Amino acid sequence: MLFNSIAFLIFFPVVTIVFFLLRHKYRWLWLLAASCFFYMFFKPEYILILAFTIIIDYYAGILLEKTTTAAKRKTYLILSLIANIGVLAIFKYFNFINSNITGLATLLDLKNPIPYLNILLPIGLSFHTFQAMSYTIEVYRGNQKAEKHFGIYALYVMFYPQLVAGPIERPQNILYQFHTRKYFSYENALTGLRLIAWGLFKKIVIADRLAIYVNQVYGDVGNAGFLSVFFAVSFFTIQIYADFSGYSGIARGTAKVMGYDLLINFKAPLKSKSITEFWQRWHISLSTWFRDYLYIPLGGNRTKYHVRNLFIVFIISGLWHGANWTFIIWGLLHAIAVIYETYTKKVRQRISGSLPIIVSNIFSVVIVWLYLSFSWIFFRSETIHQAFLVIKKLFSFDLSVNYVQLFAGRGPLNFVVTITSLILFYVMSLLLKNKSKKFDLLYILLLVFTIIILGKNGQSEFIYFQF
Amino acid sequence: MASQNSSISNFKLFCIKFLLPFLALFFLIGYAFQYVLEKTIILKSEINGAYKINRIINETHNDEIPMFGSSRMEGDFIPGILGSNYFNYGLAGTQDNVTLFFLNEEIKKNKTSPIIINFDMDGLSYGNGDMANYLYNINNEGVQHIIGNDDRVHYHIPVVKYYGFYEGYFKDYLSNRVTLTKFTDKGASVEKNSLLPQAFNQAVALRKSYTTIFKNDEQLKKGFDYVFSHATKRKFIFVVAPYHSSNFIQYKNEGEAARYFAYLKTYKNVMVLDFSKKNYPDSLFFDTQHLNYNGAIKFSKALKDTLSKI
Repeated sequence: MLFNSIAFLIFFPVVTIVFFLLRHKYRWLWLLAASCFFYMFFKPEYILILAFTIIIDYYAGILLEKTTTAAKRKTYLILSLIANIGVLAIFKYFNFINSNITGLATLLDLKNPIPYLNILLPIGLSFHTFQAMSYTIEVYRGNQKAEKHFGIYALYVMFYPQLVAGPIERPQNILYQFHTRKYFSYENALTGLRLIAWGLFKKIVIADRLAIYVNQVYGDVGNAGFLSVFFAVSFFTIQIYADFSGYSGIARGTAKVMGYDLLINFKAPLKSKSITEFWQRWHISLSTWFRDYLYIPLGGNRTKYHVRNLFIVFIISGLWHGANWTFIIWGLLHAIAVIYETYTKKVRQRISGSLPIIVSNIFSVVIVWLYLSFSWIFFRSETIHQAFLVIKKLFSFDLSVNYVQLFAGRGPLNFVVTITSLILFYVMSLLLKNKSKKFDLLYILLLVFTIIILGKNGQSEFIYFQF
Repeated sequence: MASQNSSISNFKLFCIKFLLPFLALFFLIGYAFQYVLEKTIILKSEINGAYKINRIINETHNDEIPMFGSSRMEGDFIPGILGSNYFNYGLAGTQDNVTLFFLNEEIKKNKTSPIIINFDMDGLSYGNGDMANYLYNINNEGVQHIIGNDDRVHYHIPVVKYYGFYEGYFKDYLSNRVTLTKFTDKGASVEKNSLLPQAFNQAVALRKSYTTIFKNDEQLKKGFDYVFSHATKRKFIFVVAPYHSSNFIQYKNEGEAARYFAYLKTYKNVMVLDFSKKNYPDSLFFDTQHLNYNGAIKFSKALKDTLSKI
């Protein structure tokens, strides 16, 4: 079920009201049932994959806690990780690996005998697999007690607000909350609704609006000009932020109304003054996952393999997003930037120290923005060829104006509304900074009317659903 | 127990301080906004589909010669050139089921003026076009018949019924007043822009590989037959506007189209004017199926000449 659908508009209040009407001991069951319904709205049979990993990890957790022998504990952990990664490998990476084998075989004038799998990627697979893995790893490390209640554990993986696109929760943050009795709170309800309205605004008014232009240009790069490509590339940077942070906001909001606190996933990443800082503000639940479960175990920055570790983390992060070379290049670009920043930190600090702070900050934000926008070209493109075509157009610097190209064939009004939406985005985010609860009613009302009036017709999926 | 009580009092507080005022303000402001939108935007732009549907249902213009059809009607026929009493009811994205709806509404009126119908070479087919066309008259029986299963609960709820469609209404309203990219005239909306040569050539290549099949839907055929035989005082003039030559490369059953035209002519009050193969140059087309501004002028003048000879 999509958050930006009429079905969710009915689902959410019904689930929340029944949740508060039920006695605490039955609430997990209600939330689990609601989460199953939510997930099965997409493609019902894929719930079996979730059930498979839930059963494996539940028992792995219990065995990990019971067993005292180090070797056995390690075996249980590895088995659990293999099960999780195996599911990911089959559904997400099998055909990608196979297509590369085919490519290599063709180069060598050979034939690849391995058949392709005719399967669709289950929605949000990478998210709930990573969340499940973080549970077994934390139990293995002794940071988290194994969850004895099967239903609560299943709810940990399946809790509907964050099931398909995160935030990727940690067991220490959310499991105990399912055991705690929740009471309806005016404060929570208002905070939650505010987050939901703001998230829907970002998705429907900003991301979906920008997507019209971006999709048009990326769908027909051959007929696009420098200006339209420039706008499309810049718009995509905002689109993906509005889309994904919008989803995370709605997820946090729906959970908050019921009294649950999910992890904060975004902290104004487009204001970052370096790529390193960007990763501390962007998709925080994923970047900290990689930090805690991959980067640090590899040795982090304390070994001579620091550069290697960064490359590994960012390449895997790229692959996590999608089984395509475009994502690997995207990851590589970020790795290169972070390594560059690490080794030029002192020089850059000296240069920025010699400039007025405001100039230095603006310059840094603009440079980071340009680099990010450039890297998103690979993220958005379906093939490397398409990405290079976009780059070629971008570096043509052909400033001649053709209105059909400039408006991406969607007319001037769409372009004007797009720019208006961006201005509104800025104004609304300024209003959001006002923490006073006095204006919440008017603020939410304003967001709702803006969504109704400027919202694009039709429900479009969140970009990160595909991961 | 104490916490349970605080939960209830918190919910009461939420209802009193937030939910009720929110709903009251939402509907109050929403109603006012909707009223203004309908009266000043939707019903004030002649090229808007909702306006055209409302006009055919609720207004009678005795001398008016109505013209019905798809986007090819909307963009190719300029009423002002044809005469002072023509009105273009063409709706982009619609097919013959919608044309039939317009015809049925028109023949309810006690009029004798002729009716012009644009006919597309893919025959009798279904297509409702944009839902925005129907929302203002969503409860009308004929409209309900067209939209069928596409109807949604929220289309009947004030304020939210136009969700996602506002831009379209504003676009038509502005196009009607600021003729920046379109020329508009009594319901007609003609493209002033042209595609880039590369994009036009791509469209031609695509069209050449596209197979067109004349469809002859029995249900629609019966619908048209009913109209012709029940409105014997009215003259029905079917017009096929010019097509780019690329449309005929993969046209499978041209004979079927000719047979249908011959069948139409068996009615005394029906006439067919076929301009489809007039071979207009590329410079007069917006794309392979629609004329541009110059093409629409040329075609409308040619049609006027033909009509004057009838």
